[in-house]
Amino acid sequence: MTSANGNQQDGMDIGGAQPADLSLPGALDGLRVLEISDEKGQFCGKLMADNGADLIKIEPPNGEACRSFGPFLDDVPHRERSLSFWHYNTSKRGITLNLETPQGQDIFKRLAASADIVLETRKPGYLESLGLGYATLAADNPGLIVCSLTPYGQTGPWRDYVSSDITQMAGGGQMASSGYDDIDVPNPPPIAPGGGNSWHIGAHYAYIGIMAALYYRFLTGEGQHIDASVHEACALTTEGAIAIYLSTGDVVQRHTGRHAAPDMSPAIQFPTGDGGWLNTTRSGTNLTPARLKLLADWFDQSGMAEDLTEERYQDPEVIASENDHIVQVMKNFFMNSTLMDSFHGGQERDFPWGAIRSMDEIIGDAHLQDREFFKEVEHPELGRSFTYPGPAMLFNGSPWRISRRAPLIGEHNSEILQGELGLTNSQMLLYAEGGII
Amino acid sequence: MPLPTPLKGIRVVDFTWVRAGPWAARWLGTLGAEVVKVEWPLNLDTLRQNRFTVPPGVEPGPNSTGQFADTNANKRGISVNTRTDEGLELVKRLISVSDVVIENFSSRIMQRWGLGYEQLKRIRPDIVYVSMAGFGHTGRHHWYGTMGPAAQALSGLTHLSGLPDAPPAGWGWSYLDDTGGMYGAISALTALRHRSATGKGQHVDLSQMITGITLTGPAFLDKSVNGRPARREGFPPGNRTVWPGAEVVNNYRGPIAAPHNAYRTSPGGYNDWATIACLSDDEWRNLVKLMGSPDWADDRFDTIDGRLDHQEEMDEHIEKWTQTMGKYELTEKCQAAGIRAMAVQSSQDRVDNDPQLRHRDMYVPMDHPMLGPWKFQNAPFKLSKSPARIANPPPMIGQHNREVLEDLLGVPHQELLDGYENGIFWPTTMDRYPYIEEALR
Repeated sequence: MTSANGNQQDGMDIGGAQPADLSLPGALDGLRVLEISDEKGQFCGKLMADNGADLIKIEPPNGEACRSFGPFLDDVPHRERSLSFWHYNTSKRGITLNLETPQGQDIFKRLAASADIVLETRKPGYLESLGLGYATLAADNPGLIVCSLTPYGQTGPWRDYVSSDITQMAGGGQMASSGYDDIDVPNPPPIAPGGGNSWHIGAHYAYIGIMAALYYRFLTGEGQHIDASVHEACALTTEGAIAIYLSTGDVVQRHTGRHAAPDMSPAIQFPTGDGGWLNTTRSGTNLTPARLKLLADWFDQSGMAEDLTEERYQDPEVIASENDHIVQVMKNFFMNSTLMDSFHGGQERDFPWGAIRSMDEIIGDAHLQDREFFKEVEHPELGRSFTYPGPAMLFNGSPWRISRRAPLIGEHNSEILQGELGLTNSQMLLYAEGGII
Repeated sequence: MPLPTPLKGIRVVDFTWVRAGPWAARWLGTLGAEVVKVEWPLNLDTLRQNRFTVPPGVEPGPNSTGQFADTNANKRGISVNTRTDEGLELVKRLISVSDVVIENFSSRIMQRWGLGYEQLKRIRPDIVYVSMAGFGHTGRHHWYGTMGPAAQALSGLTHLSGLPDAPPAGWGWSYLDDTGGMYGAISALTALRHRSATGKGQHVDLSQMITGITLTGPAFLDKSVNGRPARREGFPPGNRTVWPGAEVVNNYRGPIAAPHNAYRTSPGGYNDWATIACLSDDEWRNLVKLMGSPDWADDRFDTIDGRLDHQEEMDEHIEKWTQTMGKYELTEKCQAAGIRAMAVQSSQDRVDNDPQLRHRDMYVPMDHPMLGPWKFQNAPFKLSKSPARIANPPPMIGQHNREVLEDLLGVPHQELLDGYENGIFWPTTMDRYPYIEEALR
């Protein structure tokens, strides 16, 4: 590593930012977070924990239900082998607690008395019904921030509605915007994009709300309650769909993988000769005469430029009138090229195209390696370590890190309940037998 | 008295443009930061030119697009030519009294301007600098460009979405412009907490494309841990959790379940669809009861394996039932019976027909100088003591030059006037808008 503005590796300029001193604490170091969360909030908790917060995940005595989400390690279903749970719960410690017992409630209140943040995703009114609502907890700890992240928020006609990822994506508008061009799939349905992203969208906004509340607490010393809604977060996350409707009354059309538009904008996803697909981002192609020449010269190297090298194409009007033909030449080129050659060749000529990659291509990618994106995480109980995804952003003054793999069920019961709260051995035994921990 | 805002006293210098970057700064402004958007009319923000969002009857122009308006609410704006020495010097003075610098240019632009992190730190030692380049500032392809849809493709998100034996469907809009923007705000807020705790600023080097990879965790681990090939038969399974006939493997959305699909509803229009997901046998029994316990719903469907085995038949029957009613009627009936269901809502549905969003004040009315009475999207969370707020419409280009340059930075009035003549605050080749003349008087 040389300078902050041009680190070198294999003769390539790979650096932009000063690498973080890995001995430094994370940005949220010193914050204690309690998480009572299912699939809705666990990613928000991960964002905090990987940034250095001391996050204690409080699960029911048998563990959160999302420990039963596959896929599982070596395809052996088990509540300690859920790769989904592993991913979403890194850097957290875990205890089990039955909040519906007086002893469980007492332990929770004692933990909350010294916590900075409580993140919870239970049904609206549930924690209040146990005497664990914001008002009660804040009475002992006025700086406490409690974030309740629920499907539809704490108030309103839908507050008690039940949901899953696909129903949130229906109500939030993701599905009304996503599907296919008819040429790809005739008469296509709306399609809910995959990966559980309604929970991510909710978690991102919950995290933003919590960080804002932390800054307010820094200014005033006061905590507060945050009522966050997955539905509202999703409703905000359809690019221009709302602005288009408010501006013209037009409703966006579903199409194959491009920017939101109220009309059938041109297709931009093309097959390559090796069975891949290239996304050429509608607005990215922007063919001026100079850019067309770049393409034509590139295609010409493999004899695929057809007539695009002719002088008459150095005229914006000809480019506009011959657009369909130009696109056809591009498609022919891609079909005689490979996905990665088309992608890199385009980028080298300043065309912001993207290869549609799967994990088969992403894991091991050189650019990601340069950013030290692939994180080895030890699973000591298995005697193995596994490669996890790293962060999207490099915090160069407060490094992001996975400090430990996801907790086993009740892994830190003794460390926290005895070590911090001073429960005795006999209490631990009685509480375990009594279904309290 | 309005309640205080959470980011009171924070000033943000916003060099961002297009969607992801401005959306990041928009949320800092909505949380109460004073955001100053720095622009130059000859390199117009493309959202100021968005062809879809000029309302009928409104004169087209850089201040007249609905998409720019919502993406840049709660900011002020100045027009400064950073390619002039004087302009650059004023921008540096602005940075010296600011807390956050945020930009989404290509990876080396700020350094070329002399505004890389090392220089920013000399101007303001505790500055929080958030860069939002497509591939980030670090890594061999740092100079690659991305827009949202291409970033989604590269991140693996696109591959997770669609029907098997068809091209990837991906996302029908720029999810990573929205979410890349979220991560810009997340980066700034996280670094501000670090500054509150330590007094130190930092450079946060965000990659829009990589934000998408971090949202594919279970798929990532299924490959890195289990070695399962990402390209396989029956994947992705559309709206279902397992495609009929395909091997039963989790598709990374949540638990395996059936029914789990979108169904047509009455009267059969483009967005007359609703989703139903039964995550347990109990939920399925509730649905059967709600459908009137039809004969077809026999014991073959009692268990999840049976429902997966007969998924096509089950979905056809369910859709015959859903087509007998409207999507909201279906939603209400299902929810009353404890069944996870929701109408597929278009933008129009969300603005006009969604009682929950209306109850929660999701669309906040405010006048816009060009667009007239307008609606702005509110925050999806309620902070009980220091709420987010929609305080002002987006800046017209160069609207706040006098406020920012004279009142904040102390530029003498004559110097400001001279700068307009010299091409520092407005291109000499362009007419000035009446509001600019007005502000200079």
